[in-house]
Amino acid sequence: MLRYFIARIGQSLLLFVGVIFLVFGMVRMTGDPASLMMSRNATPAEVAAFREAMGFDRPISVQFVSWITKVLHGDLGDSLHFRSPALPLVLQRLPATVELAAFGLLIAILISLPIGLIGGSHPGSLLDSVGRFIALLGQSIPDFWLGLILILIFAQHLGWFPVFGNDQLSSVVLPGFVLGMPVMGELTRLTRSAVLEVRGEDYIRTAYSKGLNPSTIYVNHLLRNVTISLVSVIGVEFGYMLGGSIYIETIYAWPGMGQLLGQAVGWFDFTLVQAITIFVSLVVIALNLLTDLAYALLDPRIRHG
Amino acid sequence: MSTKKNVFKVLVGLIVGALVLSACGSAATSTAVSAPSTQTPAAQAPAATQPPVGATENPAATQPPVLPTDDPAAPSGPQGSLTVALAGEPNSLYIPDTADTIADTAASQLYDSLVYHDPAGNYYPELATSWEVAPDNVTWTFHLRQGVTFQNGDPFTADDVIATWKYGSDPKTSSWPEEYTIAKSVEKVDDYTVKVITDGPNALLLYAMFDFWDIIPGKYMDKVGVDAFQQHPIGTGPFEFVDWVKGDHITYKANPNYWWKGYPKVENLTFRFVPEDATRAAAIQSGEVDIVNRLTADEANTLSTAPNVVVSHYLVPRVYYVMFNNMSTGKGQPTMDPKVRQAMNYAVDVDGIIKSLFDGYGQRAIGMINTGQLGYGNVKPFPYDPVKAKQLLTEAGYPNGFTMSMNCPSDAYASIKEVCEAIVANLGAVGIKINLTMQESGQFWDEMSKKTLPPLAVDSWSDASGETVQRSEGLLSGGTYSTWLDPKIVDMLNNIQAELDTSKRAALYQAYNVYMQENPPLIYLYEPVTFEAIRSNVHDYTPQTNEMMYLYDTWVSNP
Repeated sequence: MLRYFIARIGQSLLLFVGVIFLVFGMVRMTGDPASLMMSRNATPAEVAAFREAMGFDRPISVQFVSWITKVLHGDLGDSLHFRSPALPLVLQRLPATVELAAFGLLIAILISLPIGLIGGSHPGSLLDSVGRFIALLGQSIPDFWLGLILILIFAQHLGWFPVFGNDQLSSVVLPGFVLGMPVMGELTRLTRSAVLEVRGEDYIRTAYSKGLNPSTIYVNHLLRNVTISLVSVIGVEFGYMLGGSIYIETIYAWPGMGQLLGQAVGWFDFTLVQAITIFVSLVVIALNLLTDLAYALLDPRIRHG
Repeated sequence: MSTKKNVFKVLVGLIVGALVLSACGSAATSTAVSAPSTQTPAAQAPAATQPPVGATENPAATQPPVLPTDDPAAPSGPQGSLTVALAGEPNSLYIPDTADTIADTAASQLYDSLVYHDPAGNYYPELATSWEVAPDNVTWTFHLRQGVTFQNGDPFTADDVIATWKYGSDPKTSSWPEEYTIAKSVEKVDDYTVKVITDGPNALLLYAMFDFWDIIPGKYMDKVGVDAFQQHPIGTGPFEFVDWVKGDHITYKANPNYWWKGYPKVENLTFRFVPEDATRAAAIQSGEVDIVNRLTADEANTLSTAPNVVVSHYLVPRVYYVMFNNMSTGKGQPTMDPKVRQAMNYAVDVDGIIKSLFDGYGQRAIGMINTGQLGYGNVKPFPYDPVKAKQLLTEAGYPNGFTMSMNCPSDAYASIKEVCEAIVANLGAVGIKINLTMQESGQFWDEMSKKTLPPLAVDSWSDASGETVQRSEGLLSGGTYSTWLDPKIVDMLNNIQAELDTSKRAALYQAYNVYMQENPPLIYLYEPVTFEAIRSNVHDYTPQTNEMMYLYDTWVSNP
């Protein structure tokens, strides 16, 4: 078990290092940051001065080493657009994104669990078909389209929710719903197949033949095992929701990290893009790690394996 | 499954980035159903009970600026709330640090400059009651308004003008030092008089002062420093800073001690950040915001039938063009011949492009100058004449045309991809075969600065100063983003910049327009249109072609 933990932590660290390399390289692929960031009326001398002040004129390897050192000390640099430290800007936006992702996940779980359980317990029935259709919808509807349609119908025409922003309690409903839809789809299908799989297991048949109360079987054996396989997916999905909300936050003007990232790309604010990407990657990797560890704790087979 | 999702999300993120980028520079888009019956804002003629102050006049002016409408229907003082949806979040409320019009719009409500520039090109007294320039044409003397206080109580004096200039010129804290170093020095004559000295005669000084020299309290800035100032900016302007919740909104309230009695007319002013234009359109309909800008033609169409919403559209001072090259890759190419460049101007059906891609919203550009800018109007645009184009090509020695490459910044502007493709088709029809490459805008401008772009490149440039010399210099003086160097053009631009007399400058611009068609460094395409919408209970709001919002006189009636 300890070996498992250490191995997973080591893998996560390696993954993080790989991400850092990738982010640094990709951001510089779009061209010379200095001339892109200055006004077009700036003279070559002014651009050169800016380039020097920012350190963009140093060799790539030097820039990378200096950046890595800063990152490992928690200094993610200064946002070029805001001219203030990038990490506090990201942290400021974190609660809003967490709120959105949490609400989305909640909705996803509340919808997918019942549908998946029912569908898995009665495969082939009408309820099952409806459930699978809903899951398919959830996974295939493009979120940017859904986001705009929901605004049009529920915010603009019906007026039940605000069109944008996070200034009211009900603001989280529409964007959270859109964010949770793909997750809902995936969880429904996974729950359903997990239920089907567990139902076919020998120990369930043994429990029935032992004469155990069906509801006890359902709760103690079926649900528990289904939950274990879902936990890993939920943890990972939460990480992706934290990092993948750019569209939804932009459409709903939600003051989170995703909106900041979308705008930072448009501003050519390399430092901020780097900072957000690194931060989100770290969160996703950490969540994956935690999920794996939780899974190991929950599943005795891994604990004693 | 997870990797696919991740890749998908990365792609999605890149697309959003591209959309955001295109929103920064774009205007109308394609496929609207029908043209809405909207009003273009009438070029407001100032209710002139006082003539505008020219550079060489010196009227005894102690009255507030006379600007469009002292509206008798307006309330006598601030009342009610106004919410404006900006297309993004400002990066700063300190003018030398503002990165774009979005930040400038929000920030400028807090300050006053020495002069005010209206869309017609006249300058009015603001914090300076009068000014004159000495016969040497480089020494400007400004007489400052007395009895003005900053929002923190500090009195406004000449020292503050000097402090504004000092802080604005410092490249460590200012992103626009060149807008302040346009003045070589700023000297105090007495508490209410300053001398501004330029390095050689410069007609752009007053506009730079209007746009950038928003006066800050010198003593306060010295005490707290720029970073702390940005947390709570102070000016003399109609609105005071209340708070800024990052990512969500900025709130101001009316300055109770504003020197111009009776203004502003709104008590609470809020800016909210809504990057997605479809969301802005929805928000103006639901009434959650009162003013939105940067809408597309489609959205303006939809809004034109919405109750309680008023839509307007106007030409933006931006020109789209195809750049020729005589500095690197274009040397020795057929485009070195002015006849060829003229032919290519005749060959492109710009009106067709405007009609099919922008639903008729836009106007063919006549040169590197926009409608309404100083000197506009003495030449007509190149007509669409492929026969003449072929004839000119034959005269130049290319009866069978030639082949050339062209790059297009595909994600930089709305519909620019289709525009580029249309150009290729038009040029192909006269025998010029174009090898078109779509390029991501960052790489495109990077290559432009390194002068490695092919001999043809599509781009655009805006200039909100009321005249085109600054943008023309950026594009045509052989600088970082210039691919064409013509000493005659450089000469003309230098003379324009040094000519302080407005009417003489206008004549120089007219000569410039003529030359720019005889020896065109560009294929002139179109001037774009942008759309705005306001709630019907918002009054005295005048859309500005520079996309700024001057809200000191805007008022709201009960909805």
